[in-house]
Parts: sequence; structure tokens; C-alpha cells
Amino acid sequence: MTSLKRLSQERQRSLEQRLKAGDERALGELFDVAAPWILGLAFRILQDADEAEEVVGDVFVQVWRHIDQHDGGRGPLMPWILSIARNRSLDALRRRRRWWRKSAHVEQARAAEATDIAPAAPHEAAVPGWPLHREVHAALAALSEEQRRVVVLSYFEGLSHREIARRLHQPLGTVKTRLRMAHQKLAEGLRHLKDWVE
Amino acid sequence: MTDWLGMLAAPRTPRPELKGRVLARALARRRRWPLAAAAVITLILGGGAWWAYRTIGALTVERDGLAGRVQALEDTVSTFIHGTATRLIQIPVSTGGRVGSVTIFADSVRHRWLVRCDGLAPNARDQAYQLWFITDRGMTTAAVMPMDADRPMVMALEMPPPADGQVMGAAMSIEPRAGSASPSGPMVFHRLL
Repeated sequence: MTSLKRLSQERQRSLEQRLKAGDERALGELFDVAAPWILGLAFRILQDADEAEEVVGDVFVQVWRHIDQHDGGRGPLMPWILSIARNRSLDALRRRRRWWRKSAHVEQARAAEATDIAPAAPHEAAVPGWPLHREVHAALAALSEEQRRVVVLSYFEGLSHREIARRLHQPLGTVKTRLRMAHQKLAEGLRHLKDWVE
Repeated sequence: MTDWLGMLAAPRTPRPELKGRVLARALARRRRWPLAAAAVITLILGGGAWWAYRTIGALTVERDGLAGRVQALEDTVSTFIHGTATRLIQIPVSTGGRVGSVTIFADSVRHRWLVRCDGLAPNARDQAYQLWFITDRGMTTAAVMPMDADRPMVMALEMPPPADGQVMGAAMSIEPRAGSASPSGPMVFHRLL
């Protein structure tokens, strides 16, 4: 297993407190750590560099304005930020789906990409959080093929259970069961993660 | 814990200019509210100051006008009371079982009277006190004074012109509310000066 060099909880609390106090330099530090992952997630969902950068801007605006809404006692900062990034990306994706020409372009891009998520190329290993990226991939890889597919469709495409069932030609109950089992396994596999990684 | 799934996507190194753009956008939005609030407060304070300035100015003008009028009245009253041509006549009266007085400052130069009534009983609803000039041609009305409250009354009166008769005295009677052309009710006092 990779030896992780984690961002200490103390430093994370300090960063969060500085953000809540309106320290603008703290926002810059947060960008350095989190932006590559937010951009990567947004690009994975949207397949468009310009739109992904817009999402990054939206996310940092929301984090800066609503940092008080994050309860440090309920979880680390990074998953909260990633959930904002995912929601913003899916919002943009839904808006774009209304524009049928763009939609066709996205479907082509999706088709070109494997259903499974491949780990990043080695040259990205210098990015902060890289070991955590590997751990999350390992947790996903531990799932069965069927479970992995429903997780990816649910998380990255924002599809409902019914839409996943239609896409995979599977009964709705089967999809729900697979998703539930997958989330249980992921929760066990990722339970030890407390902070993101330097 | 599934929120960590966001880390599945491969990281992408942001273009160098993205950081500046994103931070500028985030910080600009944060600052907009205080600026808007400051602008609103400034407008309110400015409007309030302008309103106060206008109001104080208007009130100052009004106060100066009133002060001038009060000064003129004081001069008039002072002339009445302390003038060498002014006679002071105090007449005790009894109305409704009460003892009061009618004080007349008669200025023979300006042909004006200042009359003060103290301690007169309030009138019945359909009655009023009526003051009369006694002249060498008879009685002429000076003033009708309905008195509904128990408080002193002061009034300034112009004496009738000499052509209408020489004023020789004063009288007061109780008359109908609208007044009478000649005394018809109970006489309160009748006094030759």
C-alpha cells in the first residue's frame, strides 16, 4: 500500500478557520491543493475544458461565500468541495443536454472513453492528493464489474436509478441492489480517509 | 465516504492564468455585498443629512419670524401698559356667584383698548359676554366674548371713531351667543371712565 503523507488535521482546521475568517491567502492555498482535482472531476463529467474551468470558478465562489456552512465535525473539507464540484458539473451537463448538438458531441467523447475510470497518467503523480487518488481507485477496483458500472454512471453522469436500469437493460431492483452493495464496500474501503493528501 | 469518489477522476493541472481569474471572481463576489451595503448606508445618511439640513433651515426661518412677531407684540403690549396716555381701569365683577375682574388698558392716543377678563364664570351654551362702549350717543358693541372655559381672556379692541361718538365708559352684559345690537340681558358691569 502506498505510504501516504496526509495533510494534518491541525493544518486543515487552520486552513478552514482562515477561510471562515476571510483570509484571502487561504483561498489561494486551497486552490493550489484542490483545483487540479476539481478541474479533473469537472472535465471528467463535462468533457469540455472551458466548461470545466467555469465549474472551478463556480466552486471557489461557493466555497468562499459559504464556507461557514461546512461543519468540520461532520467530515473533511475535500469531500464537501468535491460534492459541490460534482453538483455544479452535473447542473452544467443537464443544461447542455438540452442543446442537442452539444449532446451528440459529448456522447461521442464518452464513447471514446472506457466505461471504467483509468488512473491518471504517471506525470500527474506530483499533484497534491495523488496517493489518495490511487486509494480511491483501489477501492473502486475492488468492486465487481457490474457494481463499478452503476457507480460510474450514477456518480459521473448523474443518472437516476431508473435511467441506469434503462441504459444497462437491467431490472430497476438489480440496479438498486448493486448500488447499495457498492456504496457499502466503498464506505468500508474509504473509511480510514480523514484528510486529503499533500 | 462516497464523496471521495470525486478523486477518481484524473487530476488536471490548471492553466497558470486560471488561479488569478478564479480568485479574482470569488473575492469580487465576496466584496460586492459590503460595497452595496456601504453605498446604501451612505445614501441613507446623505439623504438624512440633506433632509435635516433643509428642515433645520426651514425651522430656523420660521423661528426667526415668530421671534420677530413676539418681539413686536411685546413692544405693543409694553406700549399699552406703560404708555403715558394709557389709563388703567380695574372693575370687580360678580358672575355666577363668582368674583372676578375686568381690567382695561385704554390708550387714548392710539384709540385702542387692551381688555383682560379674569374669574368670569363660563357662559351657558347659548349665551356670551358682550362688551360695550358707552358713548355720548349711546351704547355700541365692542366685542362678543363666548366663554366656554374657566380661564382668563385677553383681547385688543379698536375704539370707535370720534364721528360715532365720544367714548365715556364701558359696560358688559350677558347676551345671546351671536351677540345683540344693544344690551338686552343681565348687566355684568356698567362703568363710566
